[in-house]
Amino acid sequence: MAPRSTGYWFTAPALTLMAIILLLPVLIAAGLSFTDYSLGNQSANWVGAENYEKIVSRSTYQKMFTASIIYVLVVVPVSVVLGLGAALLINSLSFGGDLYKTIFFLPVMAALLAMAIVWEFALHNSVGIVNEMFQAGCGTIIEWVFNWGWIPFVDGSQTWYGRNCASQEFPLWLRDRNYALATICFIGIWQAFGFNMVLYLAGLTSIPRELLQAAEMDGAKSAWERFRLVIWPMLGPTTVFVVTITSIRSFQVFDTIEALTQGGPSKSTYVMMYAIYEKAIQQNLMGIGAAITIVFLGFVLVITFMQRYLVERRVHYS
Amino acid sequence: MKRTLTAAVILTAASLSPALAEEKVTIEFAYPYSHLFDVTYEKILPKFNAQYPHIEVVMRATYESYEDGTNTILREAVSGDLPDVTMQGLNRQAILVEKGIAKSLEPYIAKEADFEKDGYHAAMLELGTFNERVHGLPFSVSLPVGYYNMDLMSQAGITEMPRTWDEVVATCKSLRAAGVNNPIFWGWNITGNWFLQALMWSQGAPTMKEGAFNVAADEGLTSLETMHTIFRECDMQNLEWKEALASFSAGQVAMMFWSTSALGAVERSQGDFTLKTGPFPGIGGTPQGLPAGGNSAMLVSTSEDPKELEAAWLWLKFITSGEGAADVARTTGYMPPNKAANEIILADFYKNNPNKQTAVDQLPLLREWQAYPGDNGLAITQVIYDGIESIVVGESDDMQELQEELVEEVEDLLPTKGS
Repeated sequence: MAPRSTGYWFTAPALTLMAIILLLPVLIAAGLSFTDYSLGNQSANWVGAENYEKIVSRSTYQKMFTASIIYVLVVVPVSVVLGLGAALLINSLSFGGDLYKTIFFLPVMAALLAMAIVWEFALHNSVGIVNEMFQAGCGTIIEWVFNWGWIPFVDGSQTWYGRNCASQEFPLWLRDRNYALATICFIGIWQAFGFNMVLYLAGLTSIPRELLQAAEMDGAKSAWERFRLVIWPMLGPTTVFVVTITSIRSFQVFDTIEALTQGGPSKSTYVMMYAIYEKAIQQNLMGIGAAITIVFLGFVLVITFMQRYLVERRVHYS
Repeated sequence: MKRTLTAAVILTAASLSPALAEEKVTIEFAYPYSHLFDVTYEKILPKFNAQYPHIEVVMRATYESYEDGTNTILREAVSGDLPDVTMQGLNRQAILVEKGIAKSLEPYIAKEADFEKDGYHAAMLELGTFNERVHGLPFSVSLPVGYYNMDLMSQAGITEMPRTWDEVVATCKSLRAAGVNNPIFWGWNITGNWFLQALMWSQGAPTMKEGAFNVAADEGLTSLETMHTIFRECDMQNLEWKEALASFSAGQVAMMFWSTSALGAVERSQGDFTLKTGPFPGIGGTPQGLPAGGNSAMLVSTSEDPKELEAAWLWLKFITSGEGAADVARTTGYMPPNKAANEIILADFYKNNPNKQTAVDQLPLLREWQAYPGDNGLAITQVIYDGIESIVVGESDDMQELQEELVEEVEDLLPTKGS
């Protein structure tokens, strides 16, 4: 055996495993995406790019992209900002921080599917606690505060709360086209920000105290200035990581959709993961399911690369 | 489900001693809709075990819906993990026959001496016959009916049940005027586009005609317009069906249009109000036909062992005939598609349960619950579901446009003729 090739022999097991477990399935999916294979059939026909054509042209799939992108664009920034805010607040506490950490981290630890069922009950139209709470607030000081009628030039009876109180009907959070995606986003944020908070807390502990003290001596007196000049730049690497991870996780949202809305109403919560599930698993249409999977992979790859190259350039690594 | 399993285990344990002489045969069985059928099989299983102590029936996890049931079987066929007997929606039998998963029952029927006498008659066997060979024995048959909360109805001064959809809309308005916030739930989201097919058959038109999507016809537009009128004029809330059934049982919904099958489940969880069922309203008059819902038992066993196949056939026959079939009517709102069970065993039953009688009265209207042919059958169901949903949520108002869209999309998914 030539000494030059020895290295390849040593890496061969790892490379083979990687090819079989990671690359081969993707290649198979890519191959399937050009066929009309349906589960249970003996064979499949080669249909070329027909599946991809459908993804581009059909209104269903346009709704799919809209829902996925809105979800990511809402959940990522809000959960990152909330996570950072919570981390900063907890970090400034002299005692009780651990308690808050545990509480905020609870939604991450609990299985999202189980939590989705709790949300389903909370948002139920007749027995749900959410609508019951809104209803109970009607006609009391709570209505007066939250219909914003006390702000000058705002007509309290015309605001959201005022109108719903007058008609005694509160929205079906998960069955109304105007609210369903927002509700799902809310649950997504509720679940994700605790995770981001923990990541930021870890990032904060790695900031050397001397830097902060030096900044203070140099005239950064206010907390805001210390944040802007020291903490935020030092958190750069954490932020890149947090944003990437949250984006990918948001693109992969599935359990809440499956448990709460099944992609409806009127496809307003039809995110990509759910579309893959519906086509390939529920309707057995492997071809189109595989095509969506490939598009999905493409999206995730683009996000990853974009973040690596665009954001990383402005990150100060020490 | 768990209780069924426990019951099965206990019963097998109890019946073990006399069966020791004979070799034990185990068959696997799966059915949909646990909230409807758990009670039914809990009743049937002990009777079966008493009669055939050497056969053990193992219940698999229940299917969530007929679509889920068909899918599960297709998947299991690929992975080689099929049960012996499966219950499939009447509209989903064709695909399993096409793919060669469901076995013909003819060899077993040929061996039966008095098959006719057991109550299987031509019209009922028709529902499970493909290529002139029986593949499925219908187990439970349902028809759409109206459920009325008579307390809420009388609050609005209504004592007569509506006969047409126009009357339903008028009733909605009186109910709203009387302060009933949730006057109606119309089961558009029921499995297999059943209610669209109900409106089509009401006008005497099939949904699939000679392999083409017949909603393109005038009756299709009328069906969509009827739904649009009901949803808009009644201002119907978009409830998920399980929510709707719960709200009706809790006495919050005045009129619910749904399958008679849920009657058993609704009655079991019903609040304190008078529940009456009435015939399914028609478009301008009495319906000319209504689709048969329900499921049938199919033999999908891959076993080569004649003993196991024989046991599967015995189970299949037991649940679709005699006492087994009668328990369907006793525990659910379904009708047993078996003459003997219906006319002899259940003779007094319907007199004492007038609510369950409604569907029986509609039996002459029974029409086929049509399947969408080809691999895209399930996808077509979803396309139509999405179309109707767009009316419910207020996205579509132009029914002509929606009709064109639906026809175009469905035709696109149907297998091209001649191929």
